[in-house]
Amino acid sequence: MVLTIDIGTTMKQNTFYILAGIVGLLEVGAFWLSVQHRNPLLIIAVFITGIAFLYLAWRRVTDRQVDERAVLIAQKAGTATFMVFWVVFFAISLGSAVMGLGAPRFPLPPDWRDRTRVLNESAVIPGGDPSAFPERIAVPDDGLIRLGMFGYLQLSLLFLLFFLYVGFRVYYARKYGEWETDEEQD
Amino acid sequence: MKNRIKVFRAMHDLTQEALARELGVTRQTVLAIEKGKYDPSLDLAFRIARYFGVTIEEVFTFDEAS
Repeated sequence: MVLTIDIGTTMKQNTFYILAGIVGLLEVGAFWLSVQHRNPLLIIAVFITGIAFLYLAWRRVTDRQVDERAVLIAQKAGTATFMVFWVVFFAISLGSAVMGLGAPRFPLPPDWRDRTRVLNESAVIPGGDPSAFPERIAVPDDGLIRLGMFGYLQLSLLFLLFFLYVGFRVYYARKYGEWETDEEQD
Repeated sequence: MKNRIKVFRAMHDLTQEALARELGVTRQTVLAIEKGKYDPSLDLAFRIARYFGVTIEEVFTFDEAS
């Protein structure tokens, strides 16, 4: 079976979903490549290109069925998602602010950063002697690590946003009779 | 909001799919309106009434209970 996808003209909604799946897989591959090469610009560029591509493809879908009930469901789900999300986001932001403001108040030894670094190196081989390493292992800067951890937090919030929206969408779709059946149902 | 769309549909020998096509909405929307799960916008309500050639009050009646 040969699957031909031509986004130059028009397409069916199911073709778009196949295309979205392929783009999603490419994005995962690009993320892996980006991590391998430690190049954040790669995944940023690929992600934006992928979304733009999907947007252009979505505009060519011919059998989209959007009417006022579908718009209402999307609006209600979006509003409910926003209402829950901003509370979660605000709470986490407050927590982050407290972490930022609550810097260590104890007088730390002047070389505490180096001590942490040596501990990191000796942890490569359990029980290993840090002096056995002829060269220092390149440890990313603390600021970069923190920025990376912030990325995880952002991603988890985005996933929360996505799941909230899907949940509310299912709720309102049920409320407004999306899956109602009657004698005319196939 | 109660409605008599199903009655008018039967009188005009129309399926939900055919009515939906005429009104430019999905069949699920027609079904949801018929079952009282969704109250149409004023615009759609007028289009439904005009399609059947009746007044809006003949198709839709306000239900205090709902």
